Amino acid sequence: MKFVDEFRDAALGRAVAGEILSLVEPGRHYKVMEVCGGHTHSIYKYGVDDLLPTNVELVHGPGCPVCVIPMGRVDDGIAVAHAEGVIFTCFGDMMRVPGSNGTLLDAKAAGADVRMVYSPLDALRIARENPDREVVFYAIGFETTAPSTALTLKRARAEGVTNFSCMCSHVTIVPPLRALLESPDLRLDGFIGPGHVSTVVGARPFEFIPADYRKPVVISGFEPLDILQSIAMILRQLADGRCEVENQYKRVVPYEGNLRALEVMAEVFELRPHFEWRGLGFISHSGLKLSEAYADLDAERRFSVPGVRVADPKACQCGEVLKGVIKPWECKVFGTACTPERPIGTCMVSSEGACAAYYNFGRFAREREVV
Amino acid sequence: MTVMRVEAAQGLAVCTDDTGAEATVETALVGPVAPGDRVLVHAGVAIAPLRASEAVT
Repeated sequence: MKFVDEFRDAALGRAVAGEILSLVEPGRHYKVMEVCGGHTHSIYKYGVDDLLPTNVELVHGPGCPVCVIPMGRVDDGIAVAHAEGVIFTCFGDMMRVPGSNGTLLDAKAAGADVRMVYSPLDALRIARENPDREVVFYAIGFETTAPSTALTLKRARAEGVTNFSCMCSHVTIVPPLRALLESPDLRLDGFIGPGHVSTVVGARPFEFIPADYRKPVVISGFEPLDILQSIAMILRQLADGRCEVENQYKRVVPYEGNLRALEVMAEVFELRPHFEWRGLGFISHSGLKLSEAYADLDAERRFSVPGVRVADPKACQCGEVLKGVIKPWECKVFGTACTPERPIGTCMVSSEGACAAYYNFGRFAREREVV
Repeated sequence: MTVMRVEAAQGLAVCTDDTGAEATVETALVGPVAPGDRVLVHAGVAIAPLRASEAVT
């Protein structure tokens, strides 16, 4: 498969693993955070961490769109889903995220018309096909998904579809990274930068990490060889005493990002003053809402939403997992009360969540080690 | 995904993924595409073209 097989070549992988070994100083412990949940998934799926020296530790970051949605926002969605005449649409993973009183799937079982879509454009099609119903799209995701929501809202406006609205829980990647870098809990040596977010925002927004915090960032693709090469590039920067933003994923990511996508986002969205992240709390200017020009398509203005803040479940340690403070298996409920079939925490819901990725792939290697 | 057919007037393209599954994709963010082009698709929208020359370096 073009663009894929080349990046899964075992011999090349072993060569890069050898290069990594030659770059580490014995006795020094390296902590590298992969920001994006897609990377976490690949790392466990392909066993990338098994190819690393024991003193290179991968720390899983907050870049899983489903994992960062707090319970109160799920409750808000469920309230709208139960409103008279509403068809509530969202991505499949979102349907399984627990709120304080069940999930959107539970709401569907209780009679709400909740439908899974692959794209907000599908939600708009449902609105066109059901002119006598109100169709709401629950939008989640980082800058990778936000342009898709923005284009859909522009289309709705252009086509004059008035029975469509959007409940916006889009978030941006830079504020949580800054929050993590300011956190006293965590000492990191470098970042594997998010590949697909960067296709939209480019590499420039990450320049503050080397400039203000003296840490290397390498924007990375998602195949095992991409990730290994990015780790080698980070370690080489550290060995050379450099820190800068490098782009390993040049086949997709232009340094300046996708200007058309940024323009359409700027037109349709504006920053919320504060947004609550699961486990991370409120972070200033980290969430998006619909701009004044699109306020009439904002479901939060069209319907009454409770907007109540709900504390994360006590047993669940998603917050610590999202910040990379603990590993998935160190959570008290991991793999026992909390599994992908019956998740308590968000990190177990999405395949990009560190807990689900580890549960599905990584635990076997660790179990072998422990035995 | 690979572009199979372009519906330029609507800003859409019919694309197939590597398993052969078809999807209609919004192409407004990547500019004009032609059959055979490879694009990165996220949530029904092409967000970046794949550049072969960069892929091999």
